[in-house]
Amino acid sequence: MIASPAGADRRVVFENVSKFYGDVLGVNRVNLSIPPGITGLVGPNGSGKTTLMNLMVGLIRPTRGRISVLGMEPYDAEHLFRQVGYASQYDSFPPGLTGYQFVESYLRVHGFTAKEAEAMTWKTLERVGLVEPAGRKVAGYSKGMRQRARLAQAIAHQPSVLVLDEPLNGLDPMARAEAIALFRELADGGLHVIVSSHILHEVDLISDQVVLIHGGYVVAEGEIADVRDEMEEQHPVQVLIRCDRPSLLASRVFEQDHVVEARILEDGHSLLVRTRDADRFHLVLNEIVLGNGLTVESVAPADADVSAVYQYLIGSDGEKQ
Amino acid sequence: MSEIASASLPARTPLPWGHWWRQVRAILRLELRKGFRRSYGLYLLALAPIIVPLAILIVRTVSADFDRGFGVPEATQFYAGFYQAFMLRIVIFLACVAVFGNLIRRETLDRSLHYYFLSPLRRELLVVAKYLTGLLVSFLLFGVATVVTFVLTYAPLESTAVRQFLFGGHGLSHLGSYLLVTFLACAGYGAVFLFFGFFFKSPALPALAVFGWEAILFLLPPLLKQASVMHYLQSLCPVPVPERLLALLADAPSPWVAIPGLLVLAVVLVAISAWKIRRMEISYDES
Repeated sequence: MIASPAGADRRVVFENVSKFYGDVLGVNRVNLSIPPGITGLVGPNGSGKTTLMNLMVGLIRPTRGRISVLGMEPYDAEHLFRQVGYASQYDSFPPGLTGYQFVESYLRVHGFTAKEAEAMTWKTLERVGLVEPAGRKVAGYSKGMRQRARLAQAIAHQPSVLVLDEPLNGLDPMARAEAIALFRELADGGLHVIVSSHILHEVDLISDQVVLIHGGYVVAEGEIADVRDEMEEQHPVQVLIRCDRPSLLASRVFEQDHVVEARILEDGHSLLVRTRDADRFHLVLNEIVLGNGLTVESVAPADADVSAVYQYLIGSDGEKQ
Repeated sequence: MSEIASASLPARTPLPWGHWWRQVRAILRLELRKGFRRSYGLYLLALAPIIVPLAILIVRTVSADFDRGFGVPEATQFYAGFYQAFMLRIVIFLACVAVFGNLIRRETLDRSLHYYFLSPLRRELLVVAKYLTGLLVSFLLFGVATVVTFVLTYAPLESTAVRQFLFGGHGLSHLGSYLLVTFLACAGYGAVFLFFGFFFKSPALPALAVFGWEAILFLLPPLLKQASVMHYLQSLCPVPVPERLLALLADAPSPWVAIPGLLVLAVVLVAISAWKIRRMEISYDES
């Protein structure tokens, strides 16, 4: 066990971790402390997400730095994988096994008895919706079914930390919704669910907090709203308001010193406002609406999602800012 | 030890042997299920040695003249040469390359090794379990091949003489010795190719090197002969085969040296393989 600061036994911690593959950078100087809940690892292909996950579960070792998962070293497989489940992005399976055998066999390798393994396998297959094809060879499964089989294998032993590399790839919309509901259910039960994706809006839907990674560097970490708030000075927050008199609203809000832009959109009913202080803006907006008897249809942030945040952080030329 | 002294020592947790044994059995079961059931090439290899004595048996059955001058002593000498030159040097050797050289490599190629690495399992235990699986499979196949070829060699001879040889002479002890040699060959070559599997991407290269080394064994000076699995195996064969021309003669090691020697070699190589797998990283893209 690593001597850890208080609370680290409940977290996944990276301390100044770097990984190089020869001369090629995997990740560099990563410092993270991941709490329970759903954490989205976000970044384009090749940004270092899989490297981070593989480091977390000891499949690879850091060139320097330390990692601890609930206070355990990732290389202490005998203890770590009682608590951790990992569904990698490798779409590969041991040859010749059925879906049932795939899950059950590795539960037996965990050390569960035949009876325990059988019960746990059926329970898990039911959870991921693979009971019906359980007797068929995994090689004959569709991509979505194989994805669910890997998920089943990762959760079958009821881990406390679940690491999922691009878990929604290949799933149809129905299965995707079910998988997201399952992640939410697991996270609500106190689990760490760490999910990687290069599809930003997907992460927005499911994550409690995000880790934005680019070119091997972590560029931001935390709840997406907090990350966005920190960027207000450089990148004013955009708010989209649909109302009956957008020109009146535009003239009123533009009097505020924190509003840098107020633009009526082409539909004639929408106003896009850019402000350096979102909290003050919302207070002022209430006053203006009430004072002028405006009818407001909707008020929504226009760039508070992961996609916008990532775009601001990385920039259009792909350079870290 | 005083109470104070014993109290200051950390409590020793007993090693979970029962749990480890359960894990080894689970790996054995999984390996048999996923790998060896469909190893048709291996089954063909096990059948190959049966063809020679079977052919001789058929020829003898159809030709009355063939039997003349071929009794138990000749059959014993024939089997000794056949076993050492063909079964040991070629069939069992190749089987060990195929089985043990691919124990880890096959799963790296089909990208499924990480499932073991993601289990709460000591990696050393994985190596031991895989080695035991290979040993079980190869000994079962080639032990049976040894018994069948032995029986087929003596089958066409006059039954009284064969019965006398088997139950009144050295027949059964010869068979026991050949089975022991088959087992030790699987254990020794198995450990060698498991070991090389961690250092070479393909088992072909080390297999050729070891095959070449074993082939020129008869030319090697006594000291170098000791660095060979075949040297010890030959010494355990119950019937010596005459050395070839130009052979450099060396004293055959006694069974008390040969058997523990081969077992120690196997344990050392498996231990190094276990050490190696502890440091192993999963990087399928490079394989």
